[in-house]
Amino acid sequence: MAICELHGVTKTYGTGATRVDAIQVIDLIIEAGEFTVLSGPSGSGKTTLLNQVGCLDAPSEGELLLDGRSTRGLTSRQLSHLRGEKIGFIFQSFNLIPVLTATENVELALQLAGRSDGAHEAALAMLPQVGLGGLEHRRPNELSGGQQQRVAIARALVKKPLLVIADEPTANLDSANGEQVLSLMQELNESLGITFLFSTHDPRVLAHARRVIYLEDGRVVRDEVRQPPATRRRQSGTRPSGEVA
Amino acid sequence: MRAPTLILRLAVRNLFRQKRRTVLTATVVVVGIGLLVLGEAVIAGSEDNIVVSAIDALVGHVQARPADYPTQPMQHPVDKLLTIDAPTTAWLNQHTVAWTGRQLFTPTLIFGGEGLRVRAFGYDPVRDAKVFPRDLWKVRGRQPDPVKDEILVSRGVAKLLDIQPGDRLVLQTRTHLGAMNALEVQVAGIVATTQTVLDSMSVLLPLPLSARLLDSAQPTHLSLRFASRDLAPAAKVELARLLGRQATVVTWQDETRELVELVGTKKGAMQLMVAILMLLAGFGIANTLLMAAYERVREVGTLRALGLTEGGVVALFVVEGGLVGVMGSLVGVAWGGALSLYWQVHPMELAATEAMGANLPMSSLLYTRFDPWSLFAAAVFGVAVAMVASILPARTAARAAPADAVRAE
Repeated sequence: MAICELHGVTKTYGTGATRVDAIQVIDLIIEAGEFTVLSGPSGSGKTTLLNQVGCLDAPSEGELLLDGRSTRGLTSRQLSHLRGEKIGFIFQSFNLIPVLTATENVELALQLAGRSDGAHEAALAMLPQVGLGGLEHRRPNELSGGQQQRVAIARALVKKPLLVIADEPTANLDSANGEQVLSLMQELNESLGITFLFSTHDPRVLAHARRVIYLEDGRVVRDEVRQPPATRRRQSGTRPSGEVA
Repeated sequence: MRAPTLILRLAVRNLFRQKRRTVLTATVVVVGIGLLVLGEAVIAGSEDNIVVSAIDALVGHVQARPADYPTQPMQHPVDKLLTIDAPTTAWLNQHTVAWTGRQLFTPTLIFGGEGLRVRAFGYDPVRDAKVFPRDLWKVRGRQPDPVKDEILVSRGVAKLLDIQPGDRLVLQTRTHLGAMNALEVQVAGIVATTQTVLDSMSVLLPLPLSARLLDSAQPTHLSLRFASRDLAPAAKVELARLLGRQATVVTWQDETRELVELVGTKKGAMQLMVAILMLLAGFGIANTLLMAAYERVREVGTLRALGLTEGGVVALFVVEGGLVGVMGSLVGVAWGGALSLYWQVHPMELAATEAMGANLPMSSLLYTRFDPWSLFAAAVFGVAVAMVASILPARTAARAAPADAVRAE
């Protein structure tokens, strides 16, 4: 089942001589349960594409459908609600709110999704699942980078989103922490069936991907569907895989 | 709006991220709101002071004086005196709590080779204190003996001429018929009444003595006191009818209106000063929040990515500004209110009033008037200023594109 469809999506910045086509006529379908990586050199349009899919930015041309619904013409407020309800974000720099505890950071996602009832309990229950039991009341500056990214993962997943968008999630982590975070996300992808869309340069992330979409100069140049060893064993071919639209 | 408690929690915690900045910003609100509360209490107290001084020292609730009598200071002609007939006396006895006649004139006081024009109050030793209370009078020496040629000298005159109780001096004046007259009198005491007009260039002498100086026992002024000062307007009409054309009758309201209006203009000036101070406070809050908006671009972007609307971001910053206003206003009303309350019980001594305005009918003891409602109004004003000042930075923060903001350094 397609949860995200891009039809001829183009994003242009500037006009005239300063015009830059960040992504050009992208057609793409992301299926439910995918663990997909956007790869490509700097400036290839990975982040721009993530911004479109995450409804953080609107395409200059083309159309984005989330869960079968077009985002064209939605107001800023409607887009905010859409993000809050359907999309989880994991950022390179973790982007935790420094004045909130780990629990409160996770709770934040539920509250902004309009699900305040039981938000605190759900947040408390989520943190042990990402290996942060006992650290619930710590603030971000009292946590290591790996722990902060785990809080960010919990924050992204606690509301059971349609899609989790992770922008270079391991870039600020050492190799051990990066590997742990990737394994955790893959585990959650498999156990909860949540769809992940990454952007990365990191070969470790590529190694975990079940689908890799290569971008160059704002265009999709290759869309590779594969099964990493661990996933293939667990899925026994039952999980859906991505395909070129 | 989604997550209102979260916005409040975030706003509270954000305030404590830059404690010094928050405290400095709130301090201007503290000063402005405190001054507003205190200023209102002082102005209201000044109005009370003027009214109470008029009633308790110079006018009473209603006063009659000869028609066309000049009200300028140090001009008390005695060529026209009031005639109080039997029906008037009967009405006065029946309708007032107390009434008294006074002789106001301006003799020359001669002491130690110096001559000084003073304001003389000839008073009825029995009746006067019933109309004009003397609870706050302090007499160094003793009260004059009405059957002897004794007077009280005001603190101001005594200080100027170095007069002591027991000293003898001469009072020289014209009688009501215009003839020169003079009497040697003894100073029984030096009086301090807290009433500026009485304490400055005045002497007080029992009516029998002033009658001898003026060659008449008829008063220049007739003052009435009623059970309530609200009865004054009606009594004025009746007294004017009884006294006829010989007299001008005024109430305490008539006599204080101009001065109260003058104080009202001071109130406007005070409010202008506070408005300027609060404008500065508003700029301070706007500046602080604008800095916060630029410092927290990524944080705001993250909140937007997680689903906070532009309105939610505006609300977050406005609540932050509002909280600065709440803190500043609470401390402001606390110190302003505490001082107002203290001075309501323990009056300020306005030493300057004697030097400034010997003719200003005010008490040198200024009681503030504490009004709990003014605390509430000032606090609301402080919070409103802070919230309005927060709107611009809030909109600046909300306008940042989430796609760029989440990756801002």
